[in-house]
Amino acid sequence: MSNEQEKVLLRMKVNGKPVEVMVKPAWTLLRVLREELRLTGTKKGCEQGDCGACTVIMDGKAVNACLVLALQAESKEIETIEGLGTAENLHPLQRSFIQHGAVQCGFCTPGMLMSAKALLERNPRPTIEEIKRGISGNLCRCTGYTKIIKAIQNVHK
Amino acid sequence: MLHFQFFNARSIEEAINFLAEEVEQCRIIAGGTDLIPALRKEDIHPDFVMNILEIDQLKGITEMDHAVRIGPTTTFTEMIESDILFRFFPSIVQAASSVGGPQVRNRGTIGGNIANASPAADVLPAVLAYDGELELQSKVSGKRIVRLSEAIEGPYKTRFLPDEMLTGIIMKKPEPGTRGLFEKLGRRNAMARARMNLTILLRLNEKEEVSEVRIVPGAVMPVARRVRGTEEMLLGKKSEPSLIEAASEVLAKEMVEVTGIRWSTEYKVPVLKNMFKRMMWQLLR
Amino acid sequence: MKKRGIGIGSMFYGMGYGFSRPDISSAEVEICEDGSVIVRSGEVDYGQGSDTIFCQMVAEELGIRYDTIQLVTADTFTTPNAGPTSASRVTYVTGNAMVKAARAIKKTLQGVAQEILGEKDLLFSDEEIFSEAQPEKRLSFSKLAKECHLRGLQMVETAWHDITTKDVDPETGQGDAYATYAYATQLAEVEVDMETGKVEVLRIVSATDAGKAINPSNVEGQIEGGVAMGVGYALTEEIKLEKGYLKTGNLGEYMIPTSMDIPTIETHIVEVPIPSGPYGAKGVGEPASIPTAPAILNAIANAIGVRVTELPANLENLHRLIREKEK
Repeated sequence: MSNEQEKVLLRMKVNGKPVEVMVKPAWTLLRVLREELRLTGTKKGCEQGDCGACTVIMDGKAVNACLVLALQAESKEIETIEGLGTAENLHPLQRSFIQHGAVQCGFCTPGMLMSAKALLERNPRPTIEEIKRGISGNLCRCTGYTKIIKAIQNVHK
Repeated sequence: MLHFQFFNARSIEEAINFLAEEVEQCRIIAGGTDLIPALRKEDIHPDFVMNILEIDQLKGITEMDHAVRIGPTTTFTEMIESDILFRFFPSIVQAASSVGGPQVRNRGTIGGNIANASPAADVLPAVLAYDGELELQSKVSGKRIVRLSEAIEGPYKTRFLPDEMLTGIIMKKPEPGTRGLFEKLGRRNAMARARMNLTILLRLNEKEEVSEVRIVPGAVMPVARRVRGTEEMLLGKKSEPSLIEAASEVLAKEMVEVTGIRWSTEYKVPVLKNMFKRMMWQLLR
Repeated sequence: MKKRGIGIGSMFYGMGYGFSRPDISSAEVEICEDGSVIVRSGEVDYGQGSDTIFCQMVAEELGIRYDTIQLVTADTFTTPNAGPTSASRVTYVTGNAMVKAARAIKKTLQGVAQEILGEKDLLFSDEEIFSEAQPEKRLSFSKLAKECHLRGLQMVETAWHDITTKDVDPETGQGDAYATYAYATQLAEVEVDMETGKVEVLRIVSATDAGKAINPSNVEGQIEGGVAMGVGYALTEEIKLEKGYLKTGNLGEYMIPTSMDIPTIETHIVEVPIPSGPYGAKGVGEPASIPTAPAILNAIANAIGVRVTELPANLENLHRLIREKEK
């Protein structure tokens, strides 16, 4: 039996734009975003849903892209870090992260920002406890989370 | 990762037809939080993976006169946000809140938690405490209802027939006045497997005697189950400190009867007792 | 029952490699014809902020904006060897090389500026060079750069800094171990659940002597990150081997703190400038996490009278000690 998998057409929306890409059924959404669509802002951390580095927003909810099979994303709306803001036009969260020194090595940052965005969309004025819970699926080793929490808390300032 | 074909089922009928055809070679995927890591580790080698998240009949939480029906693809987040569950089954809401982190809760499902049958599952023991029933369907055997307490064979092994699919979780509404509490002990406060968890449902009569009690320890036995011996000790009596202490001893004994003495027993026995006593006092207040 | 306790951990830590191991760095500062400044260094900034402070230091010396400096780092083809980014040494060693290089080029700039303005005491500030005595006599940095180039002067300087120590006497252990030391103390407030062995670290207060915090926000960031590492080291992180196989090889098994596991962290940066450091600065990278576990373990001892001598003080290990004490 051939090991070569036949590719299947996947249609979804990424950062507001409709996308069509041929995918192997065993691929995850993470793989498709990074390697087929070259959107490498979403990071590959543990590939088993334990670190949150691959967090994207799918149909309004923060999810680990490594735990979504590509074909499960059919017809869904995906927001990645690339859609959050650009260097010339930063999202307020990005600006706040920079201002508060919430970025060190930066590897957790895209996932953190997407979780923060998802949190603020449901709860625009979260308490510190709610922020901690909102990013509890995103591991960070550099910052001790402190300035990240401050940045999210003070995004309106 | 391995190679497999992906099938997107659009209805229960489509799903069970596909299962009937492919049977041993097909694994069901809902939120994928358990399945995808297993596929990555190559613990399993299915030829097909069938997605059931697009099946509307599997979604939603419905309140009926005397029971509530939960669709198996209901996510932990949806359970947490459900007014119906909060009103009638608060322990299940507590259990769902304790799972993983936001991303996992947005995808993981109650059906997956049950069908995966991990010994450390959080929602499964809570459903057990409410004596949940599972609706299973297959093309060949039709529809049947199985009590959750009879549906789990062992760690990661259900008693579902090979071509059967979980299509609903039904729980009778508890008697008014039922108090419930779920607690989970993990190594850290998020993204942690349960080191142990405990669900207790309790109802007292006018004389403050226990008229009903259900106790389900989780993550301490291969298969979560109610501890009947402990429950019987408390039934019909007023919960005095000495009784609760004695009941906690029976609870520990019941656990060890199942597990035998292992390296972790020296930790689990005293801590399970402590958790039980603490929760009982909280419920009796 | 939950009990609270407070504990203190204190440490001192040698900067760099010490013990006569080579500990060198270099830096290059080049000024282009249009006044733009290129800085080259072999150091890696992996998020701790070395890039930032190099620019700050050069900008401080030359009176220019730090965010206009073009920084080239960690490129073995073009950047001079700066030694590794480790041992809490980058600010201390490479920072010194940066300052040396910047001051060397400043000398050249100063000479030409003195000639042009006809004044001796000049200040470099806000992208200008002007006379202290007669501030109307001023020149823009970019104009000065152009003038230097027109005179065919050397406009790139490479500086070298060496903190290699002599070593200690192998018999007595006395001598010249490290070039300098950093000091830090942390106070931990914990709550121990006697019934389950779970420890919550409520608060860590950290006082770290950074000599001089070139970038206070980044120093805080280092301390906060180090404290979180210390919490994990004390309570949950464990490497498990079974017949040579690593059982805790992924982030699901090797448990580092999540956002819901970290204490409130209060950082106090103590500044006791050391003459041998750039602007008096030394390193904080490793000092940030060294006092944490001891402070936590001392706090546990204060709370429940149990001395933990093996890490991690996780559920099972701590509860065993609690049970043994109760016997």
